[in-house]
Amino acid sequence: MITKMVLKMANLLLLLLFITGCWDQREVEDMAYVVGIGLDKAEDDDDRVKVTYLISNPEVGSLAQGGSAGEEPPREIISFVADDFVTSRNLANTVVSKEITYDLLRILIVSEEFASKPDFLRWVYDATKSMEIRRDTKLLVTKEKTSEFIQNNQPLLETRPHEYFEKMYDLGSESGMTPKSDLMTFFRITEADADLFLAAYGTAQQSNERNKGQDPEQIIAGEFDYEGETNTAQYAGSAIFNEGKMFNTLTLEETRITYLLNPTLEFESILTSLPDPFNEKYKIATKIIQNGETSIKMNLKKKNPTIDVEVPVLVEVLTNHSGINFAKDKDKREKLKKSFEERLTEKIEELVKKTQEEFGTEPFGWSLIARKHFKSIPEWETFDWMNTYPDMKINVTTKVRLGKFGRQGEMLNIEDVRD
Amino acid sequence: MFKKLLKKAYQTVPDVPEKSSKEDIKLKDSNIGNNLEQTLDIFKKIYTYPHNQDFKVRNLHIGGSNKKAAILFINTVTDTKIIEENVIKPLLSNNDSDKKIDDIVSVLSISTECKIKNVLTNLNKGSAILLVDDDSKAYILSAANFEGRNIEKSENETVVKGPKEAFNERANTNISMVRKKVKNENLVVESLTITERSKNDLFILYEKDLANDKLISNIKKRINALDVDAIQNLGLLEQHIEERKLSIFPTVLYTERPDRAASFIEDGYIVLLMDNSPACLVLPATFWSFYHSSEDHYLRFPYGNFTRILRMVALFITLFTSAVYVGVVSYHSEMIPPDLLLAIAATREKVPFPAAIEVIIMELAFELIREAGLRVPSPIGPTIGIVGALILGQAAVQANIVSPIVVIVVALGGLSSFAVGDISMNFSIRLIRFLFLIAASLFGIYGMAALFTAGIFYLVSIKSFGIPYLAPLTPKYVSSGDTIFRRVLQNEMFRPGYVKPKDIKKK
Repeated sequence: MITKMVLKMANLLLLLLFITGCWDQREVEDMAYVVGIGLDKAEDDDDRVKVTYLISNPEVGSLAQGGSAGEEPPREIISFVADDFVTSRNLANTVVSKEITYDLLRILIVSEEFASKPDFLRWVYDATKSMEIRRDTKLLVTKEKTSEFIQNNQPLLETRPHEYFEKMYDLGSESGMTPKSDLMTFFRITEADADLFLAAYGTAQQSNERNKGQDPEQIIAGEFDYEGETNTAQYAGSAIFNEGKMFNTLTLEETRITYLLNPTLEFESILTSLPDPFNEKYKIATKIIQNGETSIKMNLKKKNPTIDVEVPVLVEVLTNHSGINFAKDKDKREKLKKSFEERLTEKIEELVKKTQEEFGTEPFGWSLIARKHFKSIPEWETFDWMNTYPDMKINVTTKVRLGKFGRQGEMLNIEDVRD
Repeated sequence: MFKKLLKKAYQTVPDVPEKSSKEDIKLKDSNIGNNLEQTLDIFKKIYTYPHNQDFKVRNLHIGGSNKKAAILFINTVTDTKIIEENVIKPLLSNNDSDKKIDDIVSVLSISTECKIKNVLTNLNKGSAILLVDDDSKAYILSAANFEGRNIEKSENETVVKGPKEAFNERANTNISMVRKKVKNENLVVESLTITERSKNDLFILYEKDLANDKLISNIKKRINALDVDAIQNLGLLEQHIEERKLSIFPTVLYTERPDRAASFIEDGYIVLLMDNSPACLVLPATFWSFYHSSEDHYLRFPYGNFTRILRMVALFITLFTSAVYVGVVSYHSEMIPPDLLLAIAATREKVPFPAAIEVIIMELAFELIREAGLRVPSPIGPTIGIVGALILGQAAVQANIVSPIVVIVVALGGLSSFAVGDISMNFSIRLIRFLFLIAASLFGIYGMAALFTAGIFYLVSIKSFGIPYLAPLTPKYVSSGDTIFRRVLQNEMFRPGYVKPKDIKKK
């Protein structure tokens, strides 16, 4: 009797083994690793998308024996129209000889045209269904069609495409040039339905209105004026999404200010030049570093809700063309500090005003803080952040702490040299 | 039922014509008679004299009483000088007819036996036998002298800091080396003859005021239950007395270092010694005794623990590297950082085998190098190195049979497998590595996790002479916590509680 029971149990256990097994096995060399997916609207079909795959060639950049690439190119690009970017995997195999996998998917590229369509959200949400697509996949909005962008984007030194994108994004968020923009944040903000989402903005097209002679920070991708023998793609500024639909862009400078105001974003340091309070002709090169958390105090119960924002920053002076030794003069330091504070506050207020008047809500993640002031979700919903934000009174103060004044305090007196 | 059937099927005694030795047994069971000639004839018959070259009989007349006598000995295992100087000479030159034999002969120890069987045993062990006419007993004169090695350096368990001497094949020397370290009257050396035909002696060493009586009697019971013709050495004895003969883990510690044996005795363990074994057995053994080496304690606290960490890391590297490689590459490629994944995919592009086969080939090749290196006669030893390193490493990669990453993975695992010094544990880890490899190639990391869990269950369930295998880690016992790490010497205050010593507090 007991042996019978044991035998039955053993049989059941044996069956367990068949749940998994070597039929799930996929050898790494039989895979085509898609690093980036580009999504465009299909030219004459509203219900389809044009999918572009950027496939990495593993053999490039590997010096190992037995795996030398020879003349093979570092990547393979294929664009075609499909129902969505999930079923497109099989379609691609009519051309690509290896099984398509999204294991290495690092970036989802969307054209501005496609992102501005109300249907965009439907397609992007397919990514939540797929097992292989990670939520930290980056989102990039391009000015032109993504198929063109991917083809024209030819990095010269980073041969492996995933490395190129990873480095681009890392540097972009370290210096505040582009927002962090990953799928997770996109979904979160879209579902919270209060803030704006910022996606990185890039293009491989040079704009006609290159900003010759202008402030180099008032640009977005495509407007940066450069020459040389390098890649044509550039990334600067951000695309603004409201309710899962792109509707505007932020310049490089505005993106950087967003980093200062948004408590969920962190940057390492921003290099920028600020006007010299002692001589209008000159500018002072500075390095701006966050100095503690941005404090955001809200009073939302009043009839006219107010927000007090205090941005603490550490400013290091990198150049000093007027030749004043700040390290030895307290008054001048005070003046310098005041001038920095005024300038930064002015810039911040400008952007805040723009968000209130033009955008209707903010990309600073403030709604997360505002939520805490309400006891229940219905209360928060009746408050209606998106509608109340434009009328709020927002006070911005900047607290500057001066850091180092460069390696050498004393500056050369140019008049003396000329003499 | 099935087991029983199997047993029946395989345990039939083969039909070989045997010759009855009943007569011999009867002869050996009889007593020594008064007639010297008759007794001599019996012995000569038993030893097939004079065909048997080294069995010697020396006839003489004892001086004084003028009685007929004979000295019997095996000259290859006796000290003939002692017989000549201390037995024959005094007997011949004796003048006093009333003197007893005990007073004439000047050997170290002398005893008498009546039964032929017992006399034979002593004769085989190297004693000389003196038979005297009209005397119905035999005098046994100890003059044993077996040839053997001198004390040499330990070769398998080498240390940098610490005693270098190792056990050799003579039990007496070995006991002397232990006594040198434990100079205590409580150290008992019990001796037992454990086999019927070859009469192998076993020495049981323990400190009687430390070792648990139940443990001692348990071990003795198991040894007395042995019913075998011959057990030449401890390696064979180990297999006779262990509990789970098919288990992959060893449960008896085999060490060639007298200092280790002594420190185990001082902790209340029991040590077995035998002639012909350049080592000792330590009972009971836990997982930790295989994992430790004596140098861990000879080195200062930080250094000793550093080697312990290294060994633990090496153990896991050995078990897991090749399995993780196969599992991850075949099932979980999304786990690998992209650069590494692309590198692996690139090098595997031209390899004709699946990852699992590739790794198994290399692992087998490595095991072959190891085995061949061990058995190869030393003059052609260097060839193995060249063949191993060049052909298997370099050339296999260049010929696209394996990818370079696999060579790294296998070499790393192989190298790490040497960090666990004990030969038995070393074998079990190497075998388990293959189990993990198979589990990973069939079920990926899931299979490895399942096997690991099952393995831990098994480890916890094993017992060595009633002591849990992972004690004192689990289950918990009073001890000085000498498991993965060791403590500062002054804080190691207790003997291991799981061997139930009579005195738990150490000073």
